[in-house]
This record gives sequence, structure tokens and C-alpha cells, in this order.
Amino acid sequence: MTNPLCKPWEHRLSRRQWFGSAAGAAGVVGLGGLPMPVLADEIRRKYKQILFVWLDGGVSQLESWDPKPNTEFGGPFRAIPTSVPGVHFSELLPRTARQMHHLAVCRSVCTQDDAHSSGVDRIQRGDPKNRGVIYPYFGAAVTKLLGPNDSGLPPYVWIKPLSGGFMHKDAGFLGPKYGSLAFGDGKPPENLLQHASVSDRDLKERAALRTLADQRYAQTHRSGSTDANSFVFDMGLELMRRQDLFDTTKFSPQDVERYGTHDLGRHMLQARKMLDAGVTFVKVNSYGWDSHGDNFNGSLSLVSKFDQPFAAMIEDLAERGMLDNVLVIAMSEFGRTPRINGHLGRDHWPEAWSIAMAGCGLKKGLVVGETNGNGTYVKSEPYDIGHMFHTWFNALGINSQKAEYNNAGQPLPIAHEDMHPVKELLA
Amino acid sequence: MQFTLRTLGLIGAVVGLMMSSLAQAGDALAKRVDEFINSRLKEGPTALSCGDASFVRRVYLDLAGRIPSATEATAFLDDNNPNKRVALIDKLLASPDYARRMADQFHAMLMERRGENTEWNKFLLTSFEANKPWDQLAKEILDPDSNHDVNRGAAFFHTKRLEKVGQQDTDYPGLTRDVGRLFLGMDLQCAQCHNHLFIESYKQSDFQGLFTVYQNTFIRTDLKFPAIGEKLMTKKQDFSSVFDKVAMSTGPRVPGASEVEIPTFEKNEEYITPPDRKTNFPGIPRFRPMAMIARDLANSTNKSFANNFANRVWFLMMGRGLVNPLDQQHVGNAASHPELLDALAQSAVDLKFDLKAVLRQIALSEVYQRDSVLPSGTAAVKPESYRVANEKRLTAEQIMASVLVATGTREKPTELKGDAEKNRAAFVKAFGNVPTDPEVEFSPSLKSSLFLLNDALIMDCLQPQPGHLIDRLTQTEDAKTLANELYLCVLTRQPTAEESAAVSEYLSKNPDRKAAAVTNLAWSLLASTEFCLNH
Repeated sequence: MTNPLCKPWEHRLSRRQWFGSAAGAAGVVGLGGLPMPVLADEIRRKYKQILFVWLDGGVSQLESWDPKPNTEFGGPFRAIPTSVPGVHFSELLPRTARQMHHLAVCRSVCTQDDAHSSGVDRIQRGDPKNRGVIYPYFGAAVTKLLGPNDSGLPPYVWIKPLSGGFMHKDAGFLGPKYGSLAFGDGKPPENLLQHASVSDRDLKERAALRTLADQRYAQTHRSGSTDANSFVFDMGLELMRRQDLFDTTKFSPQDVERYGTHDLGRHMLQARKMLDAGVTFVKVNSYGWDSHGDNFNGSLSLVSKFDQPFAAMIEDLAERGMLDNVLVIAMSEFGRTPRINGHLGRDHWPEAWSIAMAGCGLKKGLVVGETNGNGTYVKSEPYDIGHMFHTWFNALGINSQKAEYNNAGQPLPIAHEDMHPVKELLA
Repeated sequence: MQFTLRTLGLIGAVVGLMMSSLAQAGDALAKRVDEFINSRLKEGPTALSCGDASFVRRVYLDLAGRIPSATEATAFLDDNNPNKRVALIDKLLASPDYARRMADQFHAMLMERRGENTEWNKFLLTSFEANKPWDQLAKEILDPDSNHDVNRGAAFFHTKRLEKVGQQDTDYPGLTRDVGRLFLGMDLQCAQCHNHLFIESYKQSDFQGLFTVYQNTFIRTDLKFPAIGEKLMTKKQDFSSVFDKVAMSTGPRVPGASEVEIPTFEKNEEYITPPDRKTNFPGIPRFRPMAMIARDLANSTNKSFANNFANRVWFLMMGRGLVNPLDQQHVGNAASHPELLDALAQSAVDLKFDLKAVLRQIALSEVYQRDSVLPSGTAAVKPESYRVANEKRLTAEQIMASVLVATGTREKPTELKGDAEKNRAAFVKAFGNVPTDPEVEFSPSLKSSLFLLNDALIMDCLQPQPGHLIDRLTQTEDAKTLANELYLCVLTRQPTAEESAAVSEYLSKNPDRKAAAVTNLAWSLLASTEFCLNH
């Protein structure tokens, strides 16, 4: 049976990739027939960056990364081969399956919390040992640990449905400065758009005059204050210059078609543009994955919505050579029960689930860990979210077992102190 | 008891007269401030007394919550009276702007941007209008009186913190912690589950002695304004350290004071006024631990209470606590000037916690009036040396008031269109910290820079209204005069020769768009660091 989503030109592309032709050389035609952006060389500035895709509610590992067809709990969907021989995904991930040679999937994730309200926070904060402080979300942590780059853009951007704004809670004890700047449905924050009464010339002159005023003040006063003020003005002005990051009418129609016009598609495309522009940590949220009822129709819809843009993203990052320095993670707060409940749904299952990763510092094209025959428990060594944090920090070049936060004199480990990086995942 | 605002004002005036004579006698405190600060300064340069322009801006911001208007600044600068600084301090302390300024500042300090409430605002404003002593203010917050028409809003301090957020437990520990932090200068957060691991004097029993009171409170649902109720307390709070698990117990106890004994009552005697299910009235217990806390904490014999008051008032005027951070008073965190802190605390007690009197003494000191600029060529100095005046963060309210003054006529600030509360909230959102983050240091944010760049409120202020700043500047022919007026109105000073020349040059490049050029100049100064700080 042909996959209704599968088009002939996609097969052509896949074959090209299997033959390992390198992207990035001048003259290579990219997807949709567009010439490769000259950006490729610029991108090799090699900022370490992260794309963190959060599928809120719990994506079913059995309908995605770790299918168990024809088993007791396998459900109606089949497994399909991926671009890595011997590795199969659910048939709901046809496009991502063709990108598997870039990915690293851990199927032996086993965590502690089966509730959304506490679990989401715990997972995103790395669930370290209780030290009486609120640990930062992974994005805030990385922003702090990697430090600023010279993109001039906010380091931690969150693209999500519904509302946006300045999200300080992510930062925990690090303080609101490390919170995320959220784009609600991709829209820019308040006051980002140039006010109608201010012409481009006025804006330029105002910025220059303000800088001069601060320079003069700094000559006679401790310059710390002017540095802090100029920093936020520079960032504001840079964001104002980058309307192309928000103005969806400026996105290339080919990209829009490849990523999909649904919300996750649009948000993932915007995320790619943010990464292109040099934002350190880009988080994309998708909601609605908590399929307690009607899990199979739910997954058919949701996983397909994820498959299209995620595959496009991996493809784009690979072609631009960005998988060398961009770490990609796609996950939820837990998996879903193998047991199918009375509503044809699956419930929460932290005991055995999967996380898909790619990029910076990780091996390519492998599966680490396995679950048992019917997917109920982890068969190999189980890894908690703490192990993942250790792994990801090390992938980014941070020694997760040595580095410490300094919380007003209190030294704190950056990941669970009793856990360690998963060596099999690291390049 | 009901007071009209007028009555309060009259009482305030009488009290003010009494206080000022007391204060004359206590000018000694200002001198002691200078002695204690200067005696700790080793060899090295110290800033001179700030010029009149710096002084008038600084003291207006500190005591009136805004920059002076061009007219006010000129009047002060042109005044030849050798005692004009003292006169200005007294004038500002007696002005209606003072009460608004202190209400805004203490609102930011006590509520940390958790929310707004009209009853709470009313309580604060009337308290500062009457120059209510700090110990009385603290008592009224710690033990709010729901029957008092004017002061009942004080309960907002508690009720806002007890509001449930989503599915999280009611944050009794947070309320406990904030009482310690804000009224005693002690952050007992890390002493909930064990003795503080590196602050010797913060014991678990300190936390638990307060906690037992607050976890016994609840938000009253029978009243339309913020109000707190207390359940019956019949036994001590059991607790033990997570480390040694030794069983301990405590009744209500303020750190530094003795434990309050929990009385036993005969059946049906526990309530002064019994609960009424029909009206949802929770009843008034005969034994009310909150009253005991208010009595033992807001009390001149509680050294931490006096020190905290002195330290926070010092911080307001000097940009830095003598004990730093403000909520880390303990033996291991010595004040930069311990004898000064003692002297300030003792004076505060002697002056019966009269806030105006203490502010006045600090304002009269030479140290307060130091310039913020060191002699040229000097390397940077430590802020705790007070060799120079420290930069002080402005609250959102100070910035808003100052923007309106700067852009208005020479006498009257700009009046913004639209709902006043909404406008104020917009400034607070842009320039205030996120809820629960204390506003201590200058922390400009992307929010604040984008607000200044693009917000309609700022653009409105820069519209050329007749007689307002932009209009006046556009009408000014001579570039030098224009520069003088611009700098006076926005930065409360004369431009340097360099700045004046730069204004001239910029204007000459834009001869046929003068209004736009003038607006750009004004904006650039409003958005400068110099405008957004008190220095």
C-alpha cells in the first residue's frame, strides 16, 4: 500500500542522501529547486545551538520511535524501515524515517513522574536531586552555561501556540534574565513592531543619539549601567531589524509547503529561521499529545503533523552543515502505556519511552537501548532524564560532572549528581 | 474608627511640627552618618558635594518620586539662600508628592509586583500622608483589622500571597519567608526543613515558629475586600530536621523573641465571636497568633526589626544596604559600617520609627549629598565605601512620573490619554521586575527598551502639544538655547559645550524637519541611562 504522503520526488531525494552526496558545495540545488543559501558558510561560525521540540502531553513511543507491531499492545499501525538498516519506526513517521541516518534514538528512557503537572517541570528541569532550589529549564541552563553569542538576538526563544511574552519562570534560580522570549503563534512580543510615527530615518538617528548619550555618561560614571542598557537596546533594535523572523509573508513558499501550513509546521519553519539567525536555544511546543482516548486516530493526526516539519528540519540542518553544531531533541514528559484502555487510548507511561535526538556531539544513525518484546519495560540499562541532561551538556562541550552553578554562594551540580552521560550516544 | 483624610492631614501636620522639633535636636544623626562613613575611608579621593543641579534632581526623585519641572529646577538653581538644600528637603517631605512616592516605593518593596489592590493602595497612601510610624504600619500589616475602613486593605500583603496558583499547594512557606525577609531582614527560606546550612543563626525553629502562625491563616470569603482569618490554634507545631529527625515543637514565636504560650479554653470559649455558617463568617478566635506576631515583631525591642528598618531606609536613599543583600541580616554577613547601622537603628527607635525624620537625617548628611562622579583619573571604587554617591535604580512609577514631567509644559506634566490605571500598569510591566523578584539593582530589559522604542504612551508624550517640550523646542530658534532647555527639562542640568555643539550640528543637518529632529533628540535623552537612574 502506498503511503498517501509519499511523493516520487521525495524518493529521489532520499536516494541522493543514501549515496551520501555532500551538501553545501556551491551550485548544489537544494530542496524545491532553490540554490543553496550562501548562509552555509556563515553558519559554520559554529555557534552551539539547540532545537528543543516539546510534544506536550506524551507522544506514544509505540506510534512513533519504538513500534511493536503484531504484539499484544502493538496497536493497528505497522512498522516501516528507516534509512538505517534494521531500524524501524511506526508507519506514521515516513519522512522522519528517511532521516534516521542523522538521528540518534534512545528507546530505554525510564523516568519517575507520571503526572503532567509535576512531570513537565521535572523533566524540563532535568529532575536533579532536591537542593531546595528551583532548577532552570534546559533552555535557561544552556543559555547560562554557553554564554552569549554575537548574534545580537535573544538567546532563548520559545515558539508556541497561543500567548507569548517574557517567560521568566523557565529560569528558576538563575533569575528572570535567563527566561525565554516566547512568540505566541510565532508573533513578535509587544512593542516589537516599529511605531507608525517613527520613520526608519528617525529610528536610526534615535539609536545613534542614544548611544552617544550613553557613551558620554559612561565616561564619568561606572560603565556597568550603560553596558546593561545598551545591551537591551541593541537587542531590541536587532529584533526590530529581523522582521523576516516573524513576518510569515516573507517566508519562502517552498519552505512553507515543505514544513506544512499547520501550526507546528509554521512554528518549526520559524524555528529554523531563528537557528539560521543564530539564536542559541529555540524551543518549539506542540500541544495535545495526551491521547487517553482514541490514541490511534489521535496519533495518526498528531504524529503526521510532527513528521512533516521535523523531517524537513533535519534535512535542512543536514544540508547546511548545521547538524555539526546544532543539537536537536524531540521529546515529551513521558511515553504512553502499552496497555490500551477502554477508550482505545493509552495512558501515561514513564517506565519505558523514547527520545529522538540528532546533531552536535552525538552519534548518527543509531538506536541506544531497547524495550522488551511488547514494549512494557526497558530491557537494557534504563536512562533517566538526568542521564539525558548529562549527555546533552557533554554533546555541547560542557563537562556535566564538573561544571557547577553558583547560586549566591551555593554550588549546585548542573545535572543529577548520581547520573552520568550516556557514552553510547556521544560522538 | 473612622478618620477622614482631612483629619489625618491635620493630625499629620501637628505630628510633623512635633517631629521637626525632635528632628532639630536629632540633626546629630546626619553628622554621625558622615563620621561613621568617613572614618572607614582610608587614603584616597572622595567625591565632592554634588552640584545644585545634581542635588535638585536626586532629592526630588528620592522624596517626591519624580524629576523637578523646569520651573522648579530653575527656582532652586537661582535661589541664593545658603540653606536652600535644607529648605528643599523639608518642602518635599511636606508635599503631597511625598506620600505618593513612599506609597509606590513601599508597595514595590512589600508586594514585589504580585498585583494591585485599591484598598491596599488606600491603606499605604493614607499611612504615608499621616507619616505613620513604621512600627505601627508594620503592625497594621501583620495583624490587619478588617473593621477599619481605611486600613483594612493592609491584609492584601497576606491574601495575595495565600492565593492558590493552579494546582499548587497554598504557599504558606512563601508567606512565612516574606514576613521574615521584609520585616526582619532575615531570609529563612533555607531553614524550613533543617537549620540553615551555612547561616548559623537561622534555625529551623525560627522558621517553624513563624510558619505555625501562617499555615493557620486563610483568606476570608465572606468579605469583598482582602481579609485574613485565623483558625483555632490548640497545639504546638511539630517539626524535625530532615537530617537528624529529632522531634521538636514550637508555638508561635518571632525570631529573637520568646515563644508564645498557647492557652487552653473551655468548650465554646475559644471564639470571641463564634463562626456563622449562614454568612460564611469564620469567627474570631480568642487566641490570635497573628496579633502576637505583630506585637512581638513590630517592636522597638526587636533588634532585627529596628535594623531592618534602618537598613532599608538607608538603601532607599543611598542605593545599597549597609547589610547587603537586604534580607541577609546575620552574624556572618556583617554590615559594611556596623556602628552606623547600630546608630541608625537606635535613632529610629528614639524617633519612634518616624520615617520622615530618618529620611531627613540621611538627606542632610554630606555623604548623601556627595557627587556620583569621582575626580578624573580615579579608578573605580567599591559601592560600599560611599566615596561617591551610588547610582540608584528608579521604580517604574518614578520613570513614568519623570517622563511626564520632562515632556510636559515648564510647570505641568504631560497628561496621558486613556485609563490612568492601565497606563501606570503599562509602565510597571515594562520597567518593573517580574512578580516576586525584588527591585534592587538597575536591570534594564528587552521589555523596557522596546517600550521606549515603540510604545504608544512614549510616542504620545513626544507629540507636539502646545506649550509642551517638543513644541517649545521646535519654536526655539537659537540652537544653544534649545540645547539648554532640552537638557534642563530632561536631564535637569546644563549641557556640556560638547553636548551643545552636538545638538547644534544635528539640528543644522535637519533644517527642514526640525520637529522630527527635536523629537529624536528628546527621545535619545529619555532613553539614555542617565535618565533612567538616580545618580
